[in-house]
Amino acid sequence: MPRLSRSEWYDLTRDMNWDLSYVSEDEAFPPVLSNSFGVPAHDWWVWDEPYKITYTEYVHNQAGKDAGVYSVNNVLNRSHIFDNLEPGWKAAVIAHYGAIAVAEYQAGIGEARMGRFGRAAAWRNMATFGTLDETRHGQLQTYIPYQALAKEPRLDWAHKAYHTNEWGIIAARHLFDDMFTANDAVSTAIQLTFTFETGFTNLQFLGMAADAMKAGDFDFGALIASIQTDEARHAQQGEPTIKVLVKAGKADVAQNLLDRMFWRAWKIFALLTGLSMDYYTPVENRTHSFKEFMEEFINKQFIDTFRDFGLEKPWYWDQLLNEMNWVHHAYHIGVYFWRPTVWWNPVAGVSPAEREWLEEKYPGWNESFGKYWDVMGDNVRNGHPELTLPETFPMVCNSCQVPVCTPAGYAAGYLDSPLPHILDFEGRRYTFCSEPCQWVFEQDPEQFKGHLSIIDRFLGGVIQPATIPGALEYMGLSPEECGVDGTDYAWAGPVIPAEKSA
Amino acid sequence: MATTKRKPPKTWSLLGDVKRRPSTYEVTAAKFNYHFRREPAPFEMDPAAPINLWYLANREGSPFNVEDWEGFRDPARMTYSDYVTVQHDRETYLDAVIDHHEAADSVTGLDPAWVEALTRIAVPLRFPLHILQMTALYVAQMAPSAYIINCSNFQAADEMRRVQRLAYLTKMLANAHGDAIAETATARSPWEEDAAWQPMRRMLEKMLAVYDWGQAFAVLDLVVKPTIDELVNVQLAALAERNGDDLLAQLLAEFHLDAQRSKDWTIALAQYALASDPALADTLREWVDEWIPAVDETAEAWAALLATAPNALPSGQVVEAAGRARAELLAACGL
Repeated sequence: MPRLSRSEWYDLTRDMNWDLSYVSEDEAFPPVLSNSFGVPAHDWWVWDEPYKITYTEYVHNQAGKDAGVYSVNNVLNRSHIFDNLEPGWKAAVIAHYGAIAVAEYQAGIGEARMGRFGRAAAWRNMATFGTLDETRHGQLQTYIPYQALAKEPRLDWAHKAYHTNEWGIIAARHLFDDMFTANDAVSTAIQLTFTFETGFTNLQFLGMAADAMKAGDFDFGALIASIQTDEARHAQQGEPTIKVLVKAGKADVAQNLLDRMFWRAWKIFALLTGLSMDYYTPVENRTHSFKEFMEEFINKQFIDTFRDFGLEKPWYWDQLLNEMNWVHHAYHIGVYFWRPTVWWNPVAGVSPAEREWLEEKYPGWNESFGKYWDVMGDNVRNGHPELTLPETFPMVCNSCQVPVCTPAGYAAGYLDSPLPHILDFEGRRYTFCSEPCQWVFEQDPEQFKGHLSIIDRFLGGVIQPATIPGALEYMGLSPEECGVDGTDYAWAGPVIPAEKSA
Repeated sequence: MATTKRKPPKTWSLLGDVKRRPSTYEVTAAKFNYHFRREPAPFEMDPAAPINLWYLANREGSPFNVEDWEGFRDPARMTYSDYVTVQHDRETYLDAVIDHHEAADSVTGLDPAWVEALTRIAVPLRFPLHILQMTALYVAQMAPSAYIINCSNFQAADEMRRVQRLAYLTKMLANAHGDAIAETATARSPWEEDAAWQPMRRMLEKMLAVYDWGQAFAVLDLVVKPTIDELVNVQLAALAERNGDDLLAQLLAEFHLDAQRSKDWTIALAQYALASDPALADTLREWVDEWIPAVDETAEAWAALLATAPNALPSGQVVEAAGRARAELLAACGL
């Protein structure tokens, strides 16, 4: 081993900051790709990454980590482990791959943006590692489902999803493009690496890896745990970026970027992880409810992190705490009801034991959300499962792109009104699911105003024919790909009193 | 579970009805870049959002475009896993090279006049080489297919590798010959102020402001990088050998393997584009020609800098070699 320790020479790998002479700062760092928010060039040079690593260490570590994940996968491919997974866990894993695999690869573009347009050499180096990391995550999370493609054709969505206009993917693209592919380098550091990776995915991956192991999915568990170790490193680009902004008297800029993306991330997190934790993960394997997870990991730990930097809780905190009680339950009913519009097979997750767990974690669940399931259960038990399927589409939020669920929040007693939020702006009417979603839109209308939600497209004639089959085709879902009940309605069986059985 | 009952797919549905089973390299790159030529705009934002317009102008709107970029393949067919595995081995080798020279204390024994020359020539290099890293990441984020993106990302990482090993060497020199060698100003001042470095700095700063993706590829990979790689990895290495500096010569020879991998994909990409549309030869040639005066000027200034070292190379050799390396690359590309 070379004799000099990293600390003796590391600074020489990161001091390549100089004054431009032959082009202007804006020519080399155009604001659209690198918004300095008015912080002078030299003030960025103190940018100091908390996690140091050299190229040599990186390739040594990563070669070992990759070999580990691929060897677990090689062993498990010869087993029947995938066939034996619970239907709910399969739904969670198939949803995850579709929403996340190619998106992580695209995060490499966001990292490359920081690697080119980050405003300090040290930052650009960290982002270069981040670019490699995200290439790894995109490739691993397509390679592993690819190995199981013959067993589960739905895993095709690990690759195909982002080429489609499936509504959940539109929502995910809208989030991730705003967060990194269509974002500038400084905002990306705060919104992707700090808000999303430090605040959400880093913790989510820890939780999901543990759940995977409990569910017997060692392949997914090893994958997610390995990815998390990369995220923990490259997520640390946000902190020094915030420090530079705060030191320059721009804490309000950092706070605004954080608040916008924290809410956006919450909505998609509730949709993907909320369903996964409270309905798809087998009840005996659950370590906590989604709400408990949010309270402990996101709200408590993450708040401590950003308070350390002089930032505060977002202004909409009470609304977040309110939504944590109900919004993912509403999303789950929506996803289940509109299951032909998703690429996985949703499970209802409301058998008696599961309902008992839900009631314990969310007191009042049976009286509110349970009632919808009572009706769907009756329809199934009476031999009319077709009545549990949709004939129309819901209104979709023009910010988060997720169906507006305010009526369910109102009916459950959490909202004062079932109505959505409406904004008339430059001659167009926009619909929002919540006040923070409207606020996000209003922070940067240039980014959002000309975008059409899937319902705007449906009503505006972009989707032809404007029928449910026409819309499913537009979403890239062939009849055999449309989601069906993951347990063949087994959930409705046990609760049926014998005399009502059809 | 109601698992879909249908014929097991042979590969990803988007790859169509393939005859040959795609390789791991292909199934982890093909069609990953879903937003290229996406309608109505690359990203799921207002189609007129500033970054949508940036990509429409500089990527979709680049004169350097073909009907289908998905057919391009990296000759090394590298996945991430391949890259870190290969470089893990190469870094293990370089660690051993350094171990050897540290054990022999060979840096202490270098001629003081050569150390003084190295301080002027090799120590500031981390600045320009870092710009090559930055620009490779620009090409990557703008490239139309993941097959191209991956090549350029790995190239950026290679540049960082070269910068870091030179940083280590700089610290070794400082420990043996005086702390000032490792001070930032020792590198930055000549880079910012010395006449010998200004042609290179002017060229590289102007390259940072090239935003058409095809032009950025052409300027970086067809003109600027091959010239700098020749000047540094080959010519400086030859000079190091003449001065008994085997450590630097061995490091540079190793970096030249990375440079060769970059050349391979660069040639393959140019050939692929020209095979798809022969008229693109004019597009690339125009961009290349525009930058030749700047690289020639850089090569001359660099040659003059090398000539200030002891045991200097025969005059004319450096500039001529840089021109020859570029010409060979362009010829291999079909330009």
